[in-house]
Amino acid sequence: MRTTAPAGNLAVSGVVPGFPAAGRLAARGSTALALLGAIAIWLALLGPFAVLIQHLSFHSIRAALGPPGSLDPLWVSLGASAIALGAMVLLGTPLAYLLARGRLPLARIVELGILLPLMMPPLVIGLLLIFLIGPEGTLGNLLANIHLTGVNTFFALIAAEFYEAAPFYVLGAHAAFASVDPRIEQDATLLGDRPLQAFARITLPLAAPGLATGLATAWARAMGAFGAVVIIAYYPRGLPNQIFIAFQEFGLSGALPFALLLVVAALPLPVLAYLWSARTRSRVAGNEAP
Amino acid sequence: MSATPAPLLEVDLEVERRQVTVKAGFGIQGGERLAIFGTSGAGKTTILESIAGLTRLSRGNVRIDGKLVAGIVRGEAALEPRARQVALVRQPTTLFPHLTVEQNVAYGVRSSTARSRVAELLDRLELTTLARARGAALSGGQRQRVALGRALASQFRVLLLDEPLSAVDVAAREALRVLAIETTVGRDAAGILVTHDLAEAQAFGGRLGIIDNGRLLQLGTAHKVVSAPLSRRVAELVGYGGFVPDPSAPDRCFAIHPDRVVIGALPERGVVLTGTILSTRPFGPRYECTVAEPSKERFTIHVDQPLDAGAKCILTALDPPVVTP
Repeated sequence: MRTTAPAGNLAVSGVVPGFPAAGRLAARGSTALALLGAIAIWLALLGPFAVLIQHLSFHSIRAALGPPGSLDPLWVSLGASAIALGAMVLLGTPLAYLLARGRLPLARIVELGILLPLMMPPLVIGLLLIFLIGPEGTLGNLLANIHLTGVNTFFALIAAEFYEAAPFYVLGAHAAFASVDPRIEQDATLLGDRPLQAFARITLPLAAPGLATGLATAWARAMGAFGAVVIIAYYPRGLPNQIFIAFQEFGLSGALPFALLLVVAALPLPVLAYLWSARTRSRVAGNEAP
Repeated sequence: MSATPAPLLEVDLEVERRQVTVKAGFGIQGGERLAIFGTSGAGKTTILESIAGLTRLSRGNVRIDGKLVAGIVRGEAALEPRARQVALVRQPTTLFPHLTVEQNVAYGVRSSTARSRVAELLDRLELTTLARARGAALSGGQRQRVALGRALASQFRVLLLDEPLSAVDVAAREALRVLAIETTVGRDAAGILVTHDLAEAQAFGGRLGIIDNGRLLQLGTAHKVVSAPLSRRVAELVGYGGFVPDPSAPDRCFAIHPDRVVIGALPERGVVLTGTILSTRPFGPRYECTVAEPSKERFTIHVDQPLDAGAKCILTALDPPVVTP
């Protein structure tokens, strides 16, 4: 059996040199297997969404979300998550940039500090936050001076969401900045840019897709934060708490409308961020006309 | 008699790197060019990056128009890179990948009057049709054209070129080189090219510096450095492939360049040598032969006709420079 062909005959014969028929069969088989695996994972991940839609009726949604004040948990969650996200961007962006450029002393220890909340169970974070910002804590005493209480307040909710979500943003931003070649920034300063100008004109646009992905992940995480929140900020009631309470009081049928509300509120930003990131990356990679 | 004006660029630097300590000292007048030629890792790029402010000096200083731009001098503050008016074309080429070709070239242009120059540069760089393309869509040679255009469009006093045309087609190099030289001379600026291509270094005009293992071994006009190398190492670097002992002075030897040897005895034109042809192979339109001299020294020569292996021959090395072994 012929397995190789002169280069000039490739287009005619369609035979790939050095690629035996058995090898081609194996390659096709592994491609089919990978495709099947991808479909299975995709279906498994989308399964819960399908079930959510299947078990919801217009009547149950109206009954749960119709009464006055029933949307309050949504506004609480949106407000707290937006403020937590703002704090992450404000504090986390410079930190991520300095880490990516290796300009921080003891960088490994700083990184470990960022990873720690990610590795700890959220319930434990909640318990420890009570000691840190609760009325008995050192920081809590200082906060009391400016009339902030770290337990069962809007501030406590923001703090809990911040601890649960910030590592996702900082790590995402770190990777995004690290992907920008520092030599390009140097080129911009040699062409007359001040460091902040170079950051705005070069670094930020190039890191933006990664930053958006990190931000979207952090947003979804903040909106859905529950473990730390249920310990330190049972009130004011955000959406995850509301789902938990409705489930306890009314069972699945009572909780599902709020679950839908949470998905609808939390998901658009990550989806948009993902689509925008993919489009921007494609443009920079030259796969799309400007 | 008028005094020589102060150099536009004055360099007296020392940079300690892991592999090698780079030391260099030279001055360049406005409108003048210097090509620095050497092997990879010799320290060429370090010199450029030190002038641009991307590498910290261990000792010494760099001045542009008399102003301190790098180094520590009491009572003087060094200029930050953005204020040095230095344009750098790097190897490998770095473009702003999210910007179009036109935006890349115009990046350092701050005045509206200079903007008209961007269109002219795009035209001379043959990039007009690619003006709206991004870096990822360009070939290596096109990327180098954009990087050169970006540097030439900026308001530079010192132009630093690090192997700027290595990926450009040989046929197109001449026009780009002329553009770089014209722009440098037209602005009365200083230009430095670093390369490991001797022909490219010579074509840049002006002076030629030979760097090896971090040391600037010789600096002079391109013709002088190539025709009269001061040491065996410089001779080796600029293409002399054989070193035949001088019978009248045992501490010296003649440096033999493959292209500066003719068949036959012409004592009035150089040094007559005898030898045995060891091998012959095609070399472009000519032939390259390896010759063994009676002292056992081997060297290569380029000839128009193939010579038979084993044949005895008489050769004349045309005005060979004398170097210490």
